Amino acid sequence: MSQLNVNNVTMRFSGVVALNDVSISVNEGEIFSLIGPNGSGKSTLFNCINGFNRPQEGKINYNGYNLNKTPSHDVIKTGISRTFQNIQNVPYMTVLDNVLLGAHNRIDAKFTLNRWFIRSYREKEEALALEVMDFLGIANYESKYMSGQPYGIQKLVEIARALMPKPELILMDEPAAGMNDQETYEIAKIIGEIRDRLGITVMVVEHDMNLVMSISDRVGVLDSGKIITVGLPAEVKAHPKVLKAYLGEGFDA
Amino acid sequence: MKGRYADENIKWIPALIGLVILLPFMLKGITFSYKYYLYILNTIGIYLILTVGLDILSGYTGLISLGHAGFMAIGAYTSAILVDQVGLPFGFSLVLSPIIAGCFGFIIGFPALRVSGMYLGLTTMGFGFIIRRLIIALREWTQGSGGLAVSSPKLFGYTFNGDWANYFLVWTLAILSIVASRRMMKSKVGRAFMAIRDSEQAAEASGINLAQYKMMSFFISGVFAGLAGVLMAHTNHFISTDHFDNMLSIYFIIMVLVGGIGSIYGAVLGTIFIVLLENLIVPVIEEWLHVLFQIEAGDIESLIFGLIMFLFIIFQPTGLYGMWLKIRIYWKLFPFNPKQRFT
Repeated sequence: MSQLNVNNVTMRFSGVVALNDVSISVNEGEIFSLIGPNGSGKSTLFNCINGFNRPQEGKINYNGYNLNKTPSHDVIKTGISRTFQNIQNVPYMTVLDNVLLGAHNRIDAKFTLNRWFIRSYREKEEALALEVMDFLGIANYESKYMSGQPYGIQKLVEIARALMPKPELILMDEPAAGMNDQETYEIAKIIGEIRDRLGITVMVVEHDMNLVMSISDRVGVLDSGKIITVGLPAEVKAHPKVLKAYLGEGFDA
Repeated sequence: MKGRYADENIKWIPALIGLVILLPFMLKGITFSYKYYLYILNTIGIYLILTVGLDILSGYTGLISLGHAGFMAIGAYTSAILVDQVGLPFGFSLVLSPIIAGCFGFIIGFPALRVSGMYLGLTTMGFGFIIRRLIIALREWTQGSGGLAVSSPKLFGYTFNGDWANYFLVWTLAILSIVASRRMMKSKVGRAFMAIRDSEQAAEASGINLAQYKMMSFFISGVFAGLAGVLMAHTNHFISTDHFDNMLSIYFIIMVLVGGIGSIYGAVLGTIFIVLLENLIVPVIEEWLHVLFQIEAGDIESLIFGLIMFLFIIFQPTGLYGMWLKIRIYWKLFPFNPKQRFT
């Protein structure tokens, strides 16, 4: 049963066609990876789903919600959260506060007003965050400021923030970019656990082929704004067009 | 489970509040000119309410405002008109006037959704000019540029007369403002503001309505500025457009910058520093210039403030509060790693 449906989406930036008639569907409970050379429109597709960009043509549907019209701050209410390619954290806030930022909609407004004077609400909020931080193994960083933390931790904090609103679908834009092998392995494990233990559908944009091939249920390949193929990792690996896009003309697999 | 913000050193706060209560009595014991110092302390208290609000807007939400004297003027004139001409009780005006100033902030928030950075600074500066012109134009109520005499504050049948009574009124509200704003900034609203400052994308992806929160920030800031205006009107007993010069708005920004933008205590420290400098140090410098070099320096404080802001931005961008944090960390780790820097 498909959860997210992207139908014939075309996105142009004043002449540059970033996405050209793209259609994909993501099923519930799967890890769907999107790969492609630089500038092939992977992040643009995420931005379209997330409402940062509005496609000129086509429809994006998610569980009956029409995402074409949803304002980007309401997208999270439909159950889609995302992480970013270049880390988008708040440096002068603690790690805990950064994670709590994601729980914006889960924390009642009236609690905020009460919490000016009542400390226990803060503890309720913290319990929400620490649950997720324990899951990702960053609970001991809670009181540290974001600005001094290593890159790997910052990435994990971003994932934690994206998990806080209890999403049904999480969009991860290059979760392993700039990480070493050890950290990439951890990320792969975490992505697997997000799906298996939390039951969240995961959509990943990634360049690390080993990661993509090891974790994905299905892989879609974008090139110059067009979907080349969608299929199982092994099929995609052997697809001649994919090889052409990545390795160039005249290469025999 | 214990609160995670145990690092906030609560035990100092009663001591500080005690100091605020005892300070006028101590001054009375030390000097004969304590009334002058009380006046300075009242000014600090009033400006402090405003700079705390300005810090919420400029420091936390990252929306620069160079027109905060305008909000202050709205609060002051609204209260003066409501109390003296309409005849409402002061207590009612104390609540209503800041809200009206906040509503003006809300209106200014609309252009803030489209413009940012330098352009927003110019927009708000223009707002400051507009408010001054508006006050002069509404001569019927405000008596134009001639100024307006204002009655003393009356609360629960008690009339606050003189600097002594005003001191306690002003500082009660100042402490309440500091506490309320600190609590607010530690809550979901504060997090949303900081997220807007540092990463609008992350804020939107987390479900924060940018428009709503930017307007809210302007509203809250306007309320604080309006409260400062009300207190200024009723403790000064006289307001005119000259009290709400656009230069004052820039002094407010200097106060926040010098104190440490993006922290409530920073705004408080900066206000204390700048007001003391203006009232205690600058006259001494002027006198020295006169005695030593026979220079009549008319407007030397602008030069000094500009220089101070300049030096702070270059050498100490985290401001006085950042300096204090560095010192605290230095002494915490004292024998070990004394070069440890605050990040």
